[in-house]
Amino acid sequence: MDKVVVRVEGVSKTIKKQRIVSDISFTLNQGGILALCGGNGAGKSTVLRMLAGILPPTSGSIIVNGVSHEQKTLLYSRQLGYMPDDFQFQPGFTAQETISFWAALRKVPKERAKEVLALVGLENAAEKRVGSFSKGMRQRLLLAQAILAKPPLLLMDEPTNGLDPFWTREFIRLLDQVRQDGSTVIFSTHQLEVAGEAAEQVMFLNQGRVVGKGDVRSFRDRYPSLHEAFHASLGLE
Amino acid sequence: MSNMIQLAKREIRLGFRNPWAYSFLILFGAFSLCLLAINAQNYLQGYSGVTASMLSLILYLLPLMTLFIGSFSLTSEKEDGSWHLLSTYPLGTFAFVAGKYAGLLVVLLTVTSFGYGLMGALGGVIGGGFDFKTYGLFLIFSILLILMFLGAALFIGSLSKNRWQALTISVSVWFFAVIGWQSFLLSFLNLLPYTWTKPLLVTFTFLNPAELVRIFVVVRLGGGSILGPEYYRWVDWIQKPSGGLIFGAVCLIWTVCSVLSVCWFWERGRRRG
Repeated sequence: MDKVVVRVEGVSKTIKKQRIVSDISFTLNQGGILALCGGNGAGKSTVLRMLAGILPPTSGSIIVNGVSHEQKTLLYSRQLGYMPDDFQFQPGFTAQETISFWAALRKVPKERAKEVLALVGLENAAEKRVGSFSKGMRQRLLLAQAILAKPPLLLMDEPTNGLDPFWTREFIRLLDQVRQDGSTVIFSTHQLEVAGEAAEQVMFLNQGRVVGKGDVRSFRDRYPSLHEAFHASLGLE
Repeated sequence: MSNMIQLAKREIRLGFRNPWAYSFLILFGAFSLCLLAINAQNYLQGYSGVTASMLSLILYLLPLMTLFIGSFSLTSEKEDGSWHLLSTYPLGTFAFVAGKYAGLLVVLLTVTSFGYGLMGALGGVIGGGFDFKTYGLFLIFSILLILMFLGAALFIGSLSKNRWQALTISVSVWFFAVIGWQSFLLSFLNLLPYTWTKPLLVTFTFLNPAELVRIFVVVRLGGGSILGPEYYRWVDWIQKPSGGLIFGAVCLIWTVCSVLSVCWFWERGRRRG
């Protein structure tokens, strides 16, 4: 699994003359799981949105599976599944209707849509309207649409927001399964325990800059916890 | 093409679960019955003061309804984060816009057809209905208004950042195109040399779908003389047997151009993020 799936070189983003992300570079091999960690306004979501092709970088390049969003937009979008943080479902649609719509757009068979609903534990709520769902159930439905087509790259923005401890554990187990299926995963979180358990690599961001990156193991060898490592990256030892 | 159909299906489903659509359905149904009652009391064939009032009433309601439903549909995609997620799917901008247009068109035409169906059925049962030509022209008038204003509505939706902005722009466009149009023409054209009046009048009429469709229906109903000498040539070509086809082509061009401009604007936004 040495194939490079994600190659990010010198990516920056400026919005209304304000630098949101500065000069980020990294590569990620197939099957890798990278956690983007940082506080509010660190630039995690902006990095994910640039990777998802929603925001174009002001400078630098992003290549996923050898494809650039600028050159081949539709082919690029086939390389990824994206789970946003700020999405409102149509409350009048059932979970089944919602997932069927997304599945049809990705040309995924209906059986797979049902399978994915079961995978995120929503098979019994398939006929219920999404408007009646809890935050955790909506998160799981969002996760379901992201993994529908078994994408080479899975991008998730704060995926464990609103999940209870049981589903947070399940999420970590699911990520491992997704990785074993050959997907590469990048997710953002401010929950460093989740990053430590689910990811192999972490990248600490602060005010749009990378202040630390490396293997979770290497951070654990050097610091008692990822919290300590993060504080050290910020110069707050 | 298949993604466009998926978008259209979703829009139809959304439309029929939207309380707005039912509010308009009830409103348009009640409105159609009022038109029937007016006609039953003042039955005249062809163009008359009564048909003129009825045309005006349709002109007040349908464009406003179309502008609201159409523009809100696009702005809600932005506000709900739905467009951000959709843009990570292998979905072209044209498929998105055309799918939304087709779906909304089905919803709006269903609402309108329900109103006309009610009017036609009751007119047939209790009497006092419209003659077939007038009824047909009213129906065509309504369909064309929806077709063209839906393009404008999507354009407003693509410009607006949120529903409030869409609401403000929609009301402004409706007021300008429907209520204030005559005053605008009078005040603006009087400032210009007389030789400019006619070509500008033609240009402005083509730019305003409400006025364009109104003139066509008025002429077809036999009321061309009330439009004045400036419209003499309009009356001439609309009354010809090929007039309907030419007018249909003009409406089609108007609609296609507005949908394409929405695509261009939306794609520009997509590229800029």
